[in-house]
Amino acid sequence: MQDNYPDRFSCRDRNPHISSDVHNSTEIPAGDVKPALTTVMQAEDLTKVYGDLTAVDHVTLSVEKGELFGLLGPNGSGKSTMIKMMTGQIRPAGGSAHVLGIDVMTDPVGVRKLVGIIPEQETPPSFLTAAEYLDFVGAIRKIPDIGERAAWWFDFLDFADKKDVLCKDLSRGTRQKLMFAQAFIHTPELALIDEPLINFDPIMQDVVKKYLAGYVKDGNTVFLSTHILEIAEEICSRFAILHKGRLLYTGATADLGDRHLDGLFLSLVQKERHV
Amino acid sequence: MFELFFAMVKEEWRVHSTIFGNLSFALFPVLIFWIALMGSFLLPVFREALPAGNLSIVIHSTFLMLGFMVGAFGLLGTEVMNRRFGQASLLSYSARSLPLSERVIFTTFVIKDTVYYFFLWVFPFGLGFAVASPFIGLPPVVPALLLLTLTLAFLYGLCVIFFLSTVYSRSKKILGVLLLVIAAGIGGITVLTGTNPARFFPPLILFTDFSWEMLAVSCTVILLLFVVSLLLFSPDISGTSKHYQNRLSPLTRKLSFFPSPPLAAKDLIDLSRSGSLIGQTLFSFLIPLVVIWFFLSVLSGYFPPHGLLLMFSCVTGVIASTMYTWLTMFDTFGAYACLPVSVRTLIVSKITSFSVLQLIPAFFIAATALLSGEGLYLFPALLLCIPISFFSLGVTVWLTGLSPSVLVYDVKVMVTYLALSGLAVTLMSGLAFTDPLYSLAGLLLLFPAWWFMRKGMTRWESREQPGF
Repeated sequence: MQDNYPDRFSCRDRNPHISSDVHNSTEIPAGDVKPALTTVMQAEDLTKVYGDLTAVDHVTLSVEKGELFGLLGPNGSGKSTMIKMMTGQIRPAGGSAHVLGIDVMTDPVGVRKLVGIIPEQETPPSFLTAAEYLDFVGAIRKIPDIGERAAWWFDFLDFADKKDVLCKDLSRGTRQKLMFAQAFIHTPELALIDEPLINFDPIMQDVVKKYLAGYVKDGNTVFLSTHILEIAEEICSRFAILHKGRLLYTGATADLGDRHLDGLFLSLVQKERHV
Repeated sequence: MFELFFAMVKEEWRVHSTIFGNLSFALFPVLIFWIALMGSFLLPVFREALPAGNLSIVIHSTFLMLGFMVGAFGLLGTEVMNRRFGQASLLSYSARSLPLSERVIFTTFVIKDTVYYFFLWVFPFGLGFAVASPFIGLPPVVPALLLLTLTLAFLYGLCVIFFLSTVYSRSKKILGVLLLVIAAGIGGITVLTGTNPARFFPPLILFTDFSWEMLAVSCTVILLLFVVSLLLFSPDISGTSKHYQNRLSPLTRKLSFFPSPPLAAKDLIDLSRSGSLIGQTLFSFLIPLVVIWFFLSVLSGYFPPHGLLLMFSCVTGVIASTMYTWLTMFDTFGAYACLPVSVRTLIVSKITSFSVLQLIPAFFIAATALLSGEGLYLFPALLLCIPISFFSLGVTVWLTGLSPSVLVYDVKVMVTYLALSGLAVTLMSGLAFTDPLYSLAGLLLLFPAWWFMRKGMTRWESREQPGF
């Protein structure tokens, strides 16, 4: 593991692969704006309609700074649509959304400047190599020490041997690693990540889960969308359950007590189906 | 095989109808039918200016071009699957999960494309002409024969491009030699017989003087080219771990004077590594334009002095504007959705890369002017070609944003594009025919071009980017 990665961008104390003596700095990359907010993400009455289908139905939720918030739901429940709306990739049919104090409808590019995003499908440009893609992201995001950061991520996610291979020739797992790296390479205060673990093997899942836990402990926020309940229960501090575009439940993982998340999830979803 | 064929046809229809809506896309063949019908009623007027033989050359060359277009779009060697379908999971990928070989799937894919685009373009045109023919005094055998020869012209375009692109995917050197042989053959025919080689185009010969022998020869050539192409076809094998040197950073530094250097660098790398720069230049630009030159030269008697070069420059301008699709066809906005990049920034970057690519038509027009002994008219020719290209680009950006190769099948888009580009070509060629110096007026086209581009950026910035 490389030791010269700028410590201000890592969470080395939480990551077993990184020495723990260099994690204390909280220096912010130049150019990043970090508004002093408690609520980092706020959706009010957010709605998205595709023809006859209401993909997201009047959803109101907020995410606080330092949370690892899980958005849970079965396939097609509207999780990815929520992330797309919150990052200005698609426009809501109704309601409003603010991310880090920015209205996503009036300044979607401003939102994407500040946050990190892992989209639903891993789509790095086909004819760039993995290293070129991270350079590309660095040039777009104006990250001065992109080479150093990229080298750290190649080492950390263990795909340095693939850095000169074209993205179209990478396996799904390696593409997922690349998308994970691009989302965190500028050390965003908030990351919105859609099924980030689905293509990883158990070892890499463990590495990434620990990284995310450390990341929020450093004061950052992660908004994670997944349908894998075990992962959500293990790492999320708070969660919301979405079904057919409607918000069924919001609560803290700690409040589950003896109950398990899958029990709560199944009872809520099945109840909703009967309704 | 039949199940796969019908499923592929259904799939192709659904891809189009999902994008444009069932009704809108169903109207596309109706539009072609309508154009043919109305055009046929104008035939008696055309005939006074243009003999029927020359008119048939124009129509057959159009369908040959159509075959080139469909072929170049879908059948570019090893990149075909990626280019055509991107990340989408379609039946063409079913070799991964079904007991079907890549070759069987690809053969079905070619047959499907032939049949599908026949009914989309060729048949409605033939039908429109057939319906109009009794009213303009033509016997029923003429539209039937025209439908046959137009089909053959379309198939010639398709199989020639298919053949050349599969040779290209095997060996660029062999393709180069092959093209030289073809060029030498065409040159030889021109010199030895003193006849324009376009007149030896089998569908044209069939139309003017039908014989079963010529029909058999035509069908055999088409079949042979298809079979050889299918034998030469090599499926794209992904998952190779070939290593590439990092070219993005040095290129970004070199292009630092561009509005978005990393985006421009990415475009150039995409073009070079995908084979588009050579492949598209050959199959979507040079070969169609060489053919257009031969067909236009048949009509040179109807042009004023130097009119052929000037008209050709106008047409080259329109063809050159399609280079915008080279830059956008496999680069969807989805790849940028997680980055702070606006649609406007991306369009500006594509326009910048497009401007660099305009060196290709500029060199091509220069070469044509010099080779045809019209070097004196190079400047007017360039003043027609490049502004028309930018004007058509402006219209394309306004109408289609970042998805020109998909939205072209929207009836409204197609009609507006043809009308506006046609207007520019008519206006500019008219002026240039009056006096080549009037080609300077071409520069004025840059104003509406700029206006359309700005309007297009505002339009597509305010819209949700389509996911295809």
